Amino acid sequence: MSTGVTQPTDSSNLPVGGEELAAAEAEAVEAAGPRWWSIIWANRKARVGIVILGLYILLGVFAPWIAPYEGTRTDFEALLEPSAEHWLGTTTSGGDIASQLIWGTRVSLLVGLFGGLFATIIALVVGMISGYFEGTWIDEVLSFVTNVALVVPILPLIITLMAYTEDRSIWFTIFVIAITSWAGAARAKRSQIITLRNRDFVTAAKFSGDRSWTIVFREIMPSMSSLIMAGFFGAATGAVGAEAGLSFLGLGDTSSVSWGTMLYQANQQGALAQGLWIWLFVPGLALAILITAFTFVNFGIDLLSNPHLREDG
Amino acid sequence: MALLEVKNLGVRYEPRLHKPVQAVDDVSFEIAEGEFVGLIGESGSGKSTLANALLRLVERPGRISGGSIVFDGNDLATMTQDELRPYRWRDISTVFQSSMNALNPVVRVVDQFRDAIELHSDLRGDAVVDRVRQLFGMVMIEEKFLTAYPHELSGGMKQRINLALALVNKPRFVLLDEPTTGLDVVVQRSILEAVRTLQAEQKFAVLFISHDMGTVLDLSDRILVMYAGRIVEEHDSADLMRNPLHPYSKGLLGSYGDPRAQTVRITYVPGRPPDLTREHAGCLFAPRCPERIDRCLSVEPELLAVDGARVACHVAQLQAEPEDGVEVPARSAKFAGPEFVKSDDESKEALSQHAFLTLSDVSKTYRTRNGFTFSDFTAVDDVAFELRRGAVTALVGQSGSGKSTLAKLITGVEKPTAGTIMFHTREGRAIDVVGLRPGQLRDYRSKVQMVFQDPYSSLNPTKTLGYILSRPLRNFLGLSGEALKQRVEELLEKVALTPASRYRNRYAYELSGGQRQRVVIARALASNPELIVADEPISSLDVSIRAEILELLHDLVQESDVGILYITHDLLSARMLADEIIVLSQGRVVEQGRALTVIRDPSDDYTRKLLDAIPNPFDKLDRPA
Amino acid sequence: MRYFLRRIGFFLATLWAAVTLNFIIPRLQPGDPAEIMFKKLQGRDAELDPAKIEALRAMLGDPAGKNLWEQYWNYLGSLSRGELGLSYTYFPYDVATVIGVALPWTLVLVGTTLLISFVVGTLLGAFAAWRRNTRFDSIVTLGSTFIGTLPAFWLALLILFAFGYVLGWFPTAGGYDASTPGWNAEFIGDAIYHSILPASVLLITGPIGWILGMRNTMIMNLGEDYVRLARAKGVPDTQIALRYAARNALLPSITGLALALGSMLGGQILIEQVFDYPGLGRLTAQAIDNKDYPLLQALLLFTIVGVLLANLIADMLYGILDPRARKAQS
Repeated sequence: MSTGVTQPTDSSNLPVGGEELAAAEAEAVEAAGPRWWSIIWANRKARVGIVILGLYILLGVFAPWIAPYEGTRTDFEALLEPSAEHWLGTTTSGGDIASQLIWGTRVSLLVGLFGGLFATIIALVVGMISGYFEGTWIDEVLSFVTNVALVVPILPLIITLMAYTEDRSIWFTIFVIAITSWAGAARAKRSQIITLRNRDFVTAAKFSGDRSWTIVFREIMPSMSSLIMAGFFGAATGAVGAEAGLSFLGLGDTSSVSWGTMLYQANQQGALAQGLWIWLFVPGLALAILITAFTFVNFGIDLLSNPHLREDG
Repeated sequence: MALLEVKNLGVRYEPRLHKPVQAVDDVSFEIAEGEFVGLIGESGSGKSTLANALLRLVERPGRISGGSIVFDGNDLATMTQDELRPYRWRDISTVFQSSMNALNPVVRVVDQFRDAIELHSDLRGDAVVDRVRQLFGMVMIEEKFLTAYPHELSGGMKQRINLALALVNKPRFVLLDEPTTGLDVVVQRSILEAVRTLQAEQKFAVLFISHDMGTVLDLSDRILVMYAGRIVEEHDSADLMRNPLHPYSKGLLGSYGDPRAQTVRITYVPGRPPDLTREHAGCLFAPRCPERIDRCLSVEPELLAVDGARVACHVAQLQAEPEDGVEVPARSAKFAGPEFVKSDDESKEALSQHAFLTLSDVSKTYRTRNGFTFSDFTAVDDVAFELRRGAVTALVGQSGSGKSTLAKLITGVEKPTAGTIMFHTREGRAIDVVGLRPGQLRDYRSKVQMVFQDPYSSLNPTKTLGYILSRPLRNFLGLSGEALKQRVEELLEKVALTPASRYRNRYAYELSGGQRQRVVIARALASNPELIVADEPISSLDVSIRAEILELLHDLVQESDVGILYITHDLLSARMLADEIIVLSQGRVVEQGRALTVIRDPSDDYTRKLLDAIPNPFDKLDRPA
Repeated sequence: MRYFLRRIGFFLATLWAAVTLNFIIPRLQPGDPAEIMFKKLQGRDAELDPAKIEALRAMLGDPAGKNLWEQYWNYLGSLSRGELGLSYTYFPYDVATVIGVALPWTLVLVGTTLLISFVVGTLLGAFAAWRRNTRFDSIVTLGSTFIGTLPAFWLALLILFAFGYVLGWFPTAGGYDASTPGWNAEFIGDAIYHSILPASVLLITGPIGWILGMRNTMIMNLGEDYVRLARAKGVPDTQIALRYAARNALLPSITGLALALGSMLGGQILIEQVFDYPGLGRLTAQAIDNKDYPLLQALLLFTIVGVLLANLIADMLYGILDPRARKAQS
């Protein structure tokens, strides 16, 4: 057939050009693997963050095999220069700096992971309930509590709470940090749930016979995942920093070594005056790199929730 | 020489992480001094990008990729922003879409005029305020709003002020980019009237961009039709209505009908616009075109003169100048694609059916707390009507008329302050909707389902279509496993998303607006409901595909014994779908009757006002010239 | 008007919550709070001064034999009279006096650096947003992100080490030395000299929040329709940047100012500890070391009230500057 009229499009046979294209597009999306991962991984900063975080986790998990000695041992000769036995030398009280550093990774990661996790859970529960019951007295009360927690300066409050406690385990530190630092994230979640709740798809789910909890967990939560992730990494960053600060004030767990306690001891035992710069430098550097990694990962997560940023690279 | 000469203009978006898009491609047209030109295009046609390009407001990652924009002899496309500045707002001004925040929210209105005036004239101080006063008078806004902040104004007032702002320096060219979209029909009408009067007085040239042919045809001398980044037809308005040349223009015109006719017929363009990130050959409209010939699939048509107009269509060009050995269909002004027909006889028959939902004396008052005082607002006032099985009842009114509140009362989302709502099931059981407890409400909802206005927000973006459709089947019918899967596919096929197996695992964001609305309708059908409440189901869709959804809803009523409550602001679409029309104003029913009767012979002033506001391109033809 | 009443109402309610929290904290442990504290103190001091016991009782609202409500009323009563108890560290001074001595140091240092940080940070952020994706923008943004990841007290240690100990340019501890406190040139010069190192830490870390925050809001505002309209109007670029985008972007920063004060006062504790600077922060650290609970609690209360007041002022200011705020909240 060289020329001539082709068949007019028939309404009963709808899938013409556009639909074919749509299907092809969809297949292309699936072939690329999970979308969220490829978006994050495509960002260079996020990739660097993920790799660093991975290395820290390995260091923390395998600390007993990697570190030359127990982090709490203080029976070495004091103030040794870096050597094959003591990679970064020893402290005034005879601790091995390299071992303390490696064991300290555990404390910071633990505080970051669980501090971030608990703060996120509190923020999630408060924010979700408050947002879902927007306008009722439940929301009024929770919003008030959130706003109070938001304006009250966190560090002085944590310090006071810690100062009253004799038993300063890591878990208590994590607990105190978590219950004081959830407010900002709770407020963000509340406002997001309010926008999501008023979307028609939530009403539609009610009309589909879904019950409230099904709606919250299966309809609303998945749309909030990037916000929740970002909240987690934000809270983890805060928790790691807060733990270091508390330990630096001597309010840390005395039975284990953290980078904050290393700095506390360095400061207390006159590392500055004696020019012991390695002791002073490495714990802070380790801390800074970990926080950088968290920040970089969060850049990637921001890209998920804010497509405009993707253009900026 | 024309005031504005656009030649071979192209705009390209080159995002870093996506494929580049040629949003505007090889666009050429002219506008003479004082001429009123309309530009029609649907979503994705590139009309807003073209507007931005003309104003030189295209931002990264977009850029003008070629061509020229010659204004009064000077090429705007190649000027620097500094060279451009003297032209801005003195010669060329604009009114943005009404949904936009064109006014700075923290600056008083008068001060937003001030910088526009002081930048381009010698007026200062009180003289500026006098000028603003004068402009307020022109667009009929009271002077007390001079010192108002934008959030204190209604949407219609804001658009009038934006119009006044555009005219502040007596420009020679004004670009109107969808200036009334999203406003109520009556408000829309009054703003367009203001545009018409002011243009007649001041003789500025206008390019009026819109997706709605009805609003543009009425005002314009000449029309440009845009599709997939290209101008496909350029035609005098009156002649375009009689003899459209491009099949797409025919499709757009075909989506209007005369609501007063005994039998109304409207066409729709099947399919969806092309994806411009992909390589293409031939005419971009060809996949959707009922008149296409082989050449359309391989050779891209150029915009060429045909019968005093210009058209980019092989068929239209061949019809005007036949070529040996190439056979083309005979010329017709009508779109040769699918058509949706609604006759008054159907309505008569439908109205003889049994009533199954009865509202008696229903009122709803909202109480808002204002500090320590309360204020009452009556949204629905003493309303009574019946819905019939196998019939479509339209509830027509402007925003704030109480139509959405009534939908909430009928679906049990809210309780009325007074009155009763009784529902009679197929099995003959009577349900008192007002007295339903939360547990019973869930059961009631299996009988009453909703179709929403915005198909983009009514489908969860994180869920597959299969999951979305499975929920009501699982919850209400207790289906699972293979039976569930089979029923999901049946539903998809019922709304013409075939083959169903390919759509089941798709996400809503992969579909076009029309396809999404089909999924929403399929979900509403899943529980075998007796009543479907459709809240403005077509108003967010492109005009050319609206009839497709109306037809689907219509077929449902014909095939199964469901009743539809169709909620809309648009009397024309009410006539197309509904057997009975109820007109609501300020919470009260002001008119009620068989659809054609209400349209032909309205008894209430408010109904007449709504009827007058319907943009109908054919009005102009009906009037004696 | 309603907006302002609401904000004042919130302030009063928060104030009450903070005061009550302060009452609750010592009672969170099981048992009689006074007993527990005596025990802790006894472990430290061989013999306990009866006056100190009295001070502790006063702080706790005289818990002996009274129920919680009576204790609460006593506590509120003494609070309203300004009686916060006596400090053990600086016995027999009452804590209000002790705080009064330390307050000016922190107030001047934090106040000045916060203000400078705000101005510098906002300007840098606005300029980075305006010159988006240029070299300037990436240096500013990456630079602040990098500095933002450094723990401030560690930075303080490094600065003290480098400029105080290695180079010896600045004093390594204290707020002044040879001079006597007073309004004389010698003392003021001395105090400024001592404050340079702590101030430099605050000035390095302080502007970061403002830079990143201002850049984000400003970029958002530059994409707003009214900014595009201003371009179409032919408004010159600098005016668009200042009068449209920056002006509107500044508004949210005002409320941020009060929250920043809170976090700065928190961070100040660590930094004063590093520099041994005689302000509220060092006082807090001393109170921790000496288990000086009356002082610690008074400091917490004092900080919270200060931040709440700052917050109230910021809210009022915001209400005056942004017409939408008044509307939205009423």
